[in-house]
Amino acid sequence: MSNRARAGLIVLAVAIVAVAFIALRPSDSSDKADDPAGNAETTATTPADDGAETPTATAESAPPPPKEITLRDGTPQGGVQRIEVTKGDEVRLQVRTNETTPDEIHLHGYDIEKETRSGAPANFRFKADIEGVFEIESHTAEDAGKEPLIARLVVEPS
Amino acid sequence: MFVIAHGIVGRTDLPIPEWLFGWAAAVVLVVSFVALAVLWPQPRLQDGGFRPLPPWLSRALTNRVTDVLCGLIGVGLLGLVVYAGFSGVQVAMANFASEFVFVVFWTGMVGVSVLFGDVFRAFNPWRALGRFVAWISQTAAGGEMPAPLKYPERLGYLPAAAGLFAFTTLELVAAEGSKPSNVAIATLVYSAITFVAMALYGVDQWSRKGEAFGVYLNLFSRISPWTSRDGRVGLRKPLSGLAAWKPLPGAVLLLAVMIGTVTFDGAAEAPIWTGVAPDIQDAFVSLGLSPEHGLEAAFLIGEMLAVGLVYGFYRLGIAGARSVGGDLSARELANAFVHSLVPIAFAYVAAHYLTQLLYQGQSMIFLISNPLGDDGTDFFGTADRAVDYGVIGATTAWYWQVGFVVVGHVAALILAHDRALVTYDKPRLAVRSQYWMLVIMVGFTSLALWLLAQSNG
Repeated sequence: MSNRARAGLIVLAVAIVAVAFIALRPSDSSDKADDPAGNAETTATTPADDGAETPTATAESAPPPPKEITLRDGTPQGGVQRIEVTKGDEVRLQVRTNETTPDEIHLHGYDIEKETRSGAPANFRFKADIEGVFEIESHTAEDAGKEPLIARLVVEPS
Repeated sequence: MFVIAHGIVGRTDLPIPEWLFGWAAAVVLVVSFVALAVLWPQPRLQDGGFRPLPPWLSRALTNRVTDVLCGLIGVGLLGLVVYAGFSGVQVAMANFASEFVFVVFWTGMVGVSVLFGDVFRAFNPWRALGRFVAWISQTAAGGEMPAPLKYPERLGYLPAAAGLFAFTTLELVAAEGSKPSNVAIATLVYSAITFVAMALYGVDQWSRKGEAFGVYLNLFSRISPWTSRDGRVGLRKPLSGLAAWKPLPGAVLLLAVMIGTVTFDGAAEAPIWTGVAPDIQDAFVSLGLSPEHGLEAAFLIGEMLAVGLVYGFYRLGIAGARSVGGDLSARELANAFVHSLVPIAFAYVAAHYLTQLLYQGQSMIFLISNPLGDDGTDFFGTADRAVDYGVIGATTAWYWQVGFVVVGHVAALILAHDRALVTYDKPRLAVRSQYWMLVIMVGFTSLALWLLAQSNG
C-alpha cells in the first residue's frame, strides 16, 4: 500500500465519522424520548390527605405538584423510584412516613437533609442545578442496618 | 432486600445516551480497521529510546534527600490512614482513611502514574519502611546482611493479583468495606504480610514482583514517557515501557483482575446484575447465611465471575491467534500480547472512576484540615468546605469517558501490532494474528462502552 493510499484512507475515515457525528447528534430534547422505562417520573400518589401545602405559584408558571415518596415502616411504597427531572428544574419533593419517630431524609450530592414523621412530611424544594444521579436515603434505616435507599433523583442535562 | 454497599457516593453518573454509544462503537470499529491498513510495517516500540534529562535536573529530582522525603511522606500518609481509621468518625465520606485510600490512592495514583511515570515507587511506604529497617539492621550488624531468598519463579504475579483482588473485594463486596476502621485494619493486615514477604524475599524484589500496589501502578506507569534508567530520569516513547515489560507468570490473571473488578463494579449497577443478585443472595440465606453475608457471598461470586470472564475471553482470543500458524505455545502467545491489555485496563479505570475522583478528590480540601472528621478541628481553615458536585457536567463527563475508552483501544491495538511484527517472522502471519487480537480488543472496548451505558440503569 502506498503512503498516499494510506493517508487517503485515514482522511476518508475521519471525514466520514465527523460528518456522521454531526448529522446524528440529536437535538437536545429528543434523547429522552426513547426512555423505555414507563416508570419514569412515577408518582406513587397517595392523595394529599392531611392538607399538605398545595402548590403555590411563586415561579412564572404554575409548578407541577411535588413528587411524593411514601414510606411504610421504613420501606418505600412501590419500590425505589427514579425521580427524573431536567437540569434547571425547580424540584419539589415530599417524603411521608407512617412512623411517629422522626426520620432524617438525606438527598446526597445536593446534601439536603429534612426531617419527616407521621403527619409532618419532609418537604424538599430546590433548583436541580447539578446533573447526575443522586441517592435519597433514610438515616433511620441506615442506623438500623437496613437498606437506606428510598429513591434516586436523576437530573438529565437540559 | 438489596443493599448496594457503596460508602463513598455523592453523585453517580448518568448512563451514556444511545446515540453516543452507537457512535463510539462505530469509531472504534473504523479506527480498528484503518489501523490494520495503515500501521507501520516495522516495529517501532520494541526499542523505546531513552533521552536523559540534563544531569543537574535529574539529580534535583532524584537524590538522597528527595528519596528520604518521599518515603517519609508515604509513611506519614500510611500512618495517618491507620490513625484516622481507628480514631476518626466512622463515616467513610468524613474520614481521611476511606477517602484517601479508595479515591486519592486507588484511582488518583493511576492517573499520576500514567502522566508522570512510576512516582509511587518513591512514595511506596512499605518499600520505604523496608529499606529503612534494612539500613538500620545493616548498620547494627556492621556489615553484610544474609541474602534474601530467591523469588520463586512460579509464584510470578500471583501474590500481586491476590492482593488486588482482596483490595477490590474490600471495596466492592464487603458490606462495611469502606468503614474507616475496616480500612485501617485492612491496611495493617496488608502491611504485616508485606513486611514478612520483604523479610523473606528482599525489599527491592518484593516491591517489584509481589507488592500488589507497586506492581499495579508500575504497569500503568509504563504507558508514560517518563522513566529512570541507572539513576537518570529521562524520556522514552510513550507506551514503549509496556513493550519492554517482561511479564512474570500470572500476568494474564493479574490483568484479568484489573479489568474484571472494574467490570464488576460497573455491572453491579446494571439490571443484568441487580436482577440476579437477590436470587443468589436468597440461595445463600437458605443455606444459613444472614442476609448481609448472603449478599456479600453473591457479590463475591459476581466479582470472581467477572474476572473469570475477562480471563477466559483473552485466552479464547489467544487460542484463535494461535490457530493462524507459527510455532508459539498458547502460553508464549498469551504472554507476548498481555501488555496490550494495560491501556485497556487504564481506560476502564479512567472511564469508571473519573467523576468519582473529580468529586471525592475534593474531599481532601476539608480532610487535611480535619482528617478525623470530628467537631471543631480545623488546621488550615478549610474544614467546612464541601464537595462541589457541579465541577463537571454530565455531557462533558460522557465525552471524557468515551474518549478514554477509544484512546485506550487505539493504544492497545498499536502495542499488539508492534509486538506481532517481532513475534512472527512472516509478515502475513503477523497480520492474520492481529485479526484475532482485534476481536479481543473490540470485545473489551464494547464491554467498556456497554458498562458506561448501563450505569444506574
